[in-house]
Amino acid sequence: MAVILEARDLVKRYPLGEAEVDALRGVSLAVEQGEFVAIMGASGSGKSTMLHLLGGLDLPTSGEVVIDGISISALDEEHRTLTRRAKTGFVFQFFNLIPLLSVGENVALPFLIAGDPASRHRERIAELLALVGLVDKADHRPDQLSAGEQQRVALARALATKPAILLADEPTGNLDYTTGTEILDLLWDSADRLGQTIILVTHDARAAAYADRVLVVRDGEIRDEIALGRRKDHEARPLIRRLAELGL
Amino acid sequence: MRLATIAWRGLLARPLRTALAIVGIALGVAVVTATIITGSSSEQALRSATADLLGRADLRLRAFDDAGFRPRTIQALRALPNVEAVAPVSERRLTVSTTPGDNERVFTLLVMGIDPEADALVRDPRLDSGVPLSADSPTDVLAPASWVSRNGLELGDQLLLAGRREGMPPLRIIGLMADTGLAARENGDLLILSRTTLDESFGVPAPIRYLDLDLGDEPDEAAIERVTATLDEPFVVETEADAAAPLASAQEGFVGVALLFGLVSLVLGAFLVGNTMAMTVGERTRELGLLRAAGTTSRQVLGIVLRQAAALGVLGSALGIVAGIVLAAGMIGFLSSTRAVLVVGLPLPIGGLLVAFALGLGVTLVGALVPAMRAARLSPLEALRPSRRTDRGLLDRLRPLIVAELVVVAAAMLLVAVSGIRTPILPVLLSLGLLIGGAVAAAFVLEPLSRITGRPFERFFGAQGRLGRANLSRDRVRTGLTVGAMMIALAAVVALGTVAESARAGTERRVASILPGGHAIRVGLPLDAETFRPTFEATVGVEVASPVLDVPVVRVTDGDQEEAALAGIDPNVFDDENALIISGAPRADAYAALRAGGAVFVPESLARRVGIAVGDVMGLALPGGEIHELAVAGLVEFSLPARTADGALLVSTADARDLFGVTAASLWIMVPQADVPSSVFAAAVRETAVQLAAEPLTARDLAVELSRSLDRLIGLFDALALIAVVIGALGIVNTLGVGIGERVREIAILRSHGMTVGQVQAMVVAEAAMMGAIAGVLAIVTGLLVAFMLVNGGASAELAAGLRLPWPLLVAVLLVGTGVAALAGLYPARVAASLPIVRNLKHFE
Repeated sequence: MAVILEARDLVKRYPLGEAEVDALRGVSLAVEQGEFVAIMGASGSGKSTMLHLLGGLDLPTSGEVVIDGISISALDEEHRTLTRRAKTGFVFQFFNLIPLLSVGENVALPFLIAGDPASRHRERIAELLALVGLVDKADHRPDQLSAGEQQRVALARALATKPAILLADEPTGNLDYTTGTEILDLLWDSADRLGQTIILVTHDARAAAYADRVLVVRDGEIRDEIALGRRKDHEARPLIRRLAELGL
Repeated sequence: MRLATIAWRGLLARPLRTALAIVGIALGVAVVTATIITGSSSEQALRSATADLLGRADLRLRAFDDAGFRPRTIQALRALPNVEAVAPVSERRLTVSTTPGDNERVFTLLVMGIDPEADALVRDPRLDSGVPLSADSPTDVLAPASWVSRNGLELGDQLLLAGRREGMPPLRIIGLMADTGLAARENGDLLILSRTTLDESFGVPAPIRYLDLDLGDEPDEAAIERVTATLDEPFVVETEADAAAPLASAQEGFVGVALLFGLVSLVLGAFLVGNTMAMTVGERTRELGLLRAAGTTSRQVLGIVLRQAAALGVLGSALGIVAGIVLAAGMIGFLSSTRAVLVVGLPLPIGGLLVAFALGLGVTLVGALVPAMRAARLSPLEALRPSRRTDRGLLDRLRPLIVAELVVVAAAMLLVAVSGIRTPILPVLLSLGLLIGGAVAAAFVLEPLSRITGRPFERFFGAQGRLGRANLSRDRVRTGLTVGAMMIALAAVVALGTVAESARAGTERRVASILPGGHAIRVGLPLDAETFRPTFEATVGVEVASPVLDVPVVRVTDGDQEEAALAGIDPNVFDDENALIISGAPRADAYAALRAGGAVFVPESLARRVGIAVGDVMGLALPGGEIHELAVAGLVEFSLPARTADGALLVSTADARDLFGVTAASLWIMVPQADVPSSVFAAAVRETAVQLAAEPLTARDLAVELSRSLDRLIGLFDALALIAVVIGALGIVNTLGVGIGERVREIAILRSHGMTVGQVQAMVVAEAAMMGAIAGVLAIVTGLLVAFMLVNGGASAELAAGLRLPWPLLVAVLLVGTGVAALAGLYPARVAASLPIVRNLKHFE
């Protein structure tokens, strides 16, 4: 499979008063097209920072991120944004829907932002709403939905433009067990059925167990890589055992 | 720590918002202060002008008829005991030009002749620069300083009187008069020279119109009687109030409208403060809840918010007073240079400044009252809830109030329209009610209006426009009040422009109705109708040259006499040209009666004032002459201008000649032949006028001249309205700033999905522009309603014709509203675009 995303020696340093804190210390990785990768780590390990750099939301202090052959770290703000728009989709912990737009409009948001009339993408929006099981709630406002439904809308929105990579930052962190499972099933389904490349950041081994491969981050470095392979059962025990062996 | 400290820290925590609220109040107070100072300056100027006009004279006599006082009367008066000085003032309306050449300029001015030595005994010349006239300087002339500077002239420049006798040298400006004294008359469009020079310049001496007499210390009735008994000519004794009356009317109108603008600006400032405080309370709900939970009483919370408002009010009002003094200096300078209103100096009335300060503080506290009460009513439990409290409850509570207010205003408007009530204060109060009610009601119509007005923006801005429009309904109270404040400012411009346009239309209608054929010639001294008719008829392209035989008369009622002016017109000319707007009788019948003789047309204003109707009989006579009974055949909406404010009573030329012995005319109606172009005829009329040292008139020029003073004032009021628009724009900056602060996470999510910096900026600017456009649409509706009330409720005859819409202004208001709001959105847009994405993705309220 072709490499769709590559990070080369990523360093991210933040000023903290007069000192500096290294959030990432020379991270390198490669993700193949259609792969489902989980990044695991404790709070403050640098996993979210890594996701932000991989998605072009933030710039590394040094190092390079290449998405689909484009080195986004070398781009200016405008072009980095356009690349992000074209190549990535994001799902965040706090759903982050636009409260004033309907469910359908929220899903169509990436098209709207691209200046592409939503009317030209009716079929795609219907397809996505069907995927997340919200066809009958297309005209609802976000505040009329449950937390799980809101996150499903966020997922549909992230998939709208068929992005090269879907980046999910703790997408189940704010959901109960059942709803969280629904979201993870949807993510896995989109990877397995649609061939969607996914990078999932989580501290939850049960969520990470959906991935083909788990990268374990600690103190700003990738400490281990656990290959799980594509499995339908999403059994978390082998991963938990392996993490325990690593002392996590 | 005291609770007051919490209040101060609350203000300091949001420096931009606090600064905007202070600036808003300061601008409102500045406009009020400036209008108070300018009004005071105007009153002072009026007092000073009147005092200087009469100087030390104890008695002013005005000649009743156009012949004026005879020179020998002056000699006789000077010979009387107790008469220390007699200062005659003669007058002629003349065409005056600068030295011939490329830069030659021509003016029509009132030229006044005085006896320099005698005049100096009665009044001081009040010169800004130069020297006064002296008896041995026949070529010297004094001109008002404002007129000189307005027309690009200077001390030492030469002026030529048109039609002067051959060999008369040019005049030289030797002194620039202050705007008071004799220079206060005619809006400063006049010249003063020696009476001898004025008389010698032409074949006929200028009539002596006034005699100002100094009767020594404490003159008694007997002294005055001795004077009046000496006079053979008919005369009118003028008091100081009579002399000041023509000056005072313009001043009153100016001060009233200016103060209205000041109040509008203050109301806007109050909206800004109310909005600011509502935002602060909304933002700090949780903090206030904590305070309440810790035992702070409702009263103490109320105190915190009101303390904040008081601090804003005190600072804003103090700044506003200083800014107002600067603004007043600018306004006084403008009024002084354009001479639109008589002003003098830069007075600082302490009482007035205190009133402005108190008004500023008062409206700030009133504006803050609703949010303060809301804060005080917060229950600790409600305030500590994680979800943000919406303003829907407030909106619902306000709804009945707004509906009630608008119903009252609508009913009152209907009353004004149907009953024709003519009280000036009622329309002004209703206008204020409509503006404020409309502004508050903006919150209710925001959503439906944004759907319509937002369309073009959505087409232009795309997704950013769609999102910008959606943002408008996020907090309808806040956005509605902001739009409402902007609407008030723009509505003031619409109302003012529409009233001005309607007044212009009225003036054009008036001029067209009294000037058949659209052309006329006005001569300084009446010319005998039969002798000069051939001269007028020799004008190229003339169909009819019709003299208006004018004469001062008295209206006799039950032994009482009132001064009136009579004009003899040719009924055929006026009827054929469809001149005069006649009421009370069919037009044909009225003209038939005038042709038959023994009939008079009466100005409507006079008829209304003294209760005259068609069919009544009016007694008119020359002073001391036989009383002629004339039947009132019709009432005219506008009559020919005369010395009396109502205008002339109109009779046929035959009656004027046969009953009142008038044979001369100072106004000649010139009707062109049907196939002669207006410009060609105007040139021919001008040529005839030059031959006669007279003034050519066209309906258009006359309308422009009559509207000139109004146009100058409108310019000034538009500048004041612009300040109000700036306050409205500050409100938009404020509201957008808060809105952006509330949705940093949302903006971050849009950015994470590929919205560029430019798109974020466009989204915020689109939101701002839509607010401006909605304000513009509402302003047009409200402004026109206000104009309707002012026009229909006003007492001015010019406005009787009803509304004429100033279409270009309406379009301009929409564009200016949108443009200014979009500009106001630039700064918040920059702030929104520069928000860091990653940090704000984690932001959670």
